[in-house]
Amino acid sequence: MNAQPAATQDYKEPALLEVRDFQVELITDAGIIRAVDSVNFSIHRGETVTIIGESGSGKSTTAMGILRLLPDDLAVLSGTVLIDGVDVVAEPKAIDKVRGRTLALIPQDPMTALSPVHSIGSQLSEAIRIAGAASKDKDAVRARAIRLLEQVHIPTPEVQLKKYPHQLSGGMLQRVLIAIALASEPQLLVADEPTSALDVTVQAGILDLLLELQEQRGIGILMITHDLGVARLISDRIHVMKDGSFVESGDVQQVVEHPATEYTRNLLAAVPVLGPWDETPAGNTQPDAAAAAALTNTGASHD
Amino acid sequence: MTNYILKRLGQGLLTVFLTVSTVFILIRLAPGDPAVSYAGPLATTEQLARVREQFGLDRPVLEQYWIFLQQLFTGNLGTSYSFQAPAMQVVSERMPYTLTLATAAILLTAVVAIPLGVWMARRPDTNRELGVNVLTIAGQSMPDFWTGIMLLTGFAVLIPLFPASGFATWGGLVLPTVTIAILQIALISRMVRREMTANFAAPYLTVARSRGVGGPALTWRYAMGNSAIPVFTALGTRFAAMLNGVVVVEVVFAWPGVGSLIVRALETRDYPLIQATVLLTSLLAVAVQLVIDLAYPLLDPRVRLGKAAAA
Repeated sequence: MNAQPAATQDYKEPALLEVRDFQVELITDAGIIRAVDSVNFSIHRGETVTIIGESGSGKSTTAMGILRLLPDDLAVLSGTVLIDGVDVVAEPKAIDKVRGRTLALIPQDPMTALSPVHSIGSQLSEAIRIAGAASKDKDAVRARAIRLLEQVHIPTPEVQLKKYPHQLSGGMLQRVLIAIALASEPQLLVADEPTSALDVTVQAGILDLLLELQEQRGIGILMITHDLGVARLISDRIHVMKDGSFVESGDVQQVVEHPATEYTRNLLAAVPVLGPWDETPAGNTQPDAAAAAALTNTGASHD
Repeated sequence: MTNYILKRLGQGLLTVFLTVSTVFILIRLAPGDPAVSYAGPLATTEQLARVREQFGLDRPVLEQYWIFLQQLFTGNLGTSYSFQAPAMQVVSERMPYTLTLATAAILLTAVVAIPLGVWMARRPDTNRELGVNVLTIAGQSMPDFWTGIMLLTGFAVLIPLFPASGFATWGGLVLPTVTIAILQIALISRMVRREMTANFAAPYLTVARSRGVGGPALTWRYAMGNSAIPVFTALGTRFAAMLNGVVVVEVVFAWPGVGSLIVRALETRDYPLIQATVLLTSLLAVAVQLVIDLAYPLLDPRVRLGKAAAA
């Protein structure tokens, strides 16, 4: 069952990301696997849309397919992916103009996402130069790099610029990667499980940062996660993915409180609930509401 | 940093000392008699005894070793039997030839093998890559004396482009260099390919691509930047090995280097000359290794000197 996006409100501007009938087929030794099967969704300015699902459901493949980061000889894309009005499935070259400009990625594991032999400063400066926003003058690039690190709340940015990835913690690296993503002032961020490799206390800080940046800049975010706590905290809409298709889509509140499928109920049930210390609002009689309320109360602190 | 260098220097000198001591014992354990080589097959027992006395070979081995140690610390390893000249001087005169050949060979290797390995890594499993891959296996499998003789026949005899032997002109450098480099290129290019392929698949490369980094920067700045350490180490180690004399190639091309010298020294059981050669070449090899180790932190920020020294 392919549910259509539940969003019914009228948007004044065209979508930042419009995905129609998107398919990804992976060529493997065992044959062709349809990892993503006809998914449809869109993201507008200031919106966060989450794709949630268990490991292997195709959520990361969807994100990587949209960014065209899957190897061309192993992954066959079809359908329509309009990024800022340009179809990157039909015109593969067009992706080069949006990557690092209108579109940026926040990767899954910050520990392996930066080149270990290049300094933070050199990788950040490179992103700034590619974005072409600032002047190419060395001092201007450096000033912008420091400003970006300040925006993601990294202390003593001048010192951090000289450091190498192995000298920073996972949480700090993810902030650096967000700063790199922001270098181009992107309109759309794809966050592929941005907190799953981090400690729970650090996770909350990263999510707060993303929300803050979204509020300031009106960035659209495509969030990939397996964590309903994360989804609940930051999403406007969520799509529940299983075996390559969306089994349920809709407003975050509605999906969490009234899950329509067994799969979503199982995902909800997998979220740990705090015991006696329960602040569930009185009069809530829905069987799933306790879990939903627990999510609301504890936010992203669940893994 | 200074402590680290001093420590490595100390280790290096100890290595050299153990090497020359081992060689001192081994050549005396090996069959053959320097007196016979020197005096000739027709020499009488009395003549042989006189020669042994002259060379100090009639003394107990321990006493000979004690004399050798004294010589070692004065840097004078005695007189070569066959050249009748100070052994260190004979070797020192040959060293520049071997250095020239080794430098030329390692430069040619680096210049060809690195782009070739990158070229292969960028188009894996294509027919062209497969073809080059087969060629590198061939290059790896050909023994250098055979490669040398084939090149000699081809480019010195049939098509006389280069001199067949010696180092009278710079042209003489070409064939021995190519002979050595063919094997090294085959080995190093396959290594570059392996390293680059691994780095092309690394997550940081995908993330760099996602922020709009273009193909050349992904290949050279990122994948090569991360492949540089093992490749540099391999090139350095091979260079150090070549300084011990590229024996077969030097003999094939009558190259006046250390390699052909050591062959002659061994044939004539010229103990002082063997010892001087081993001393100089192992000193050079240790020095090259030290330079490689000191260059690590430049290539890889993760190698902290403190950590390396503690290990």
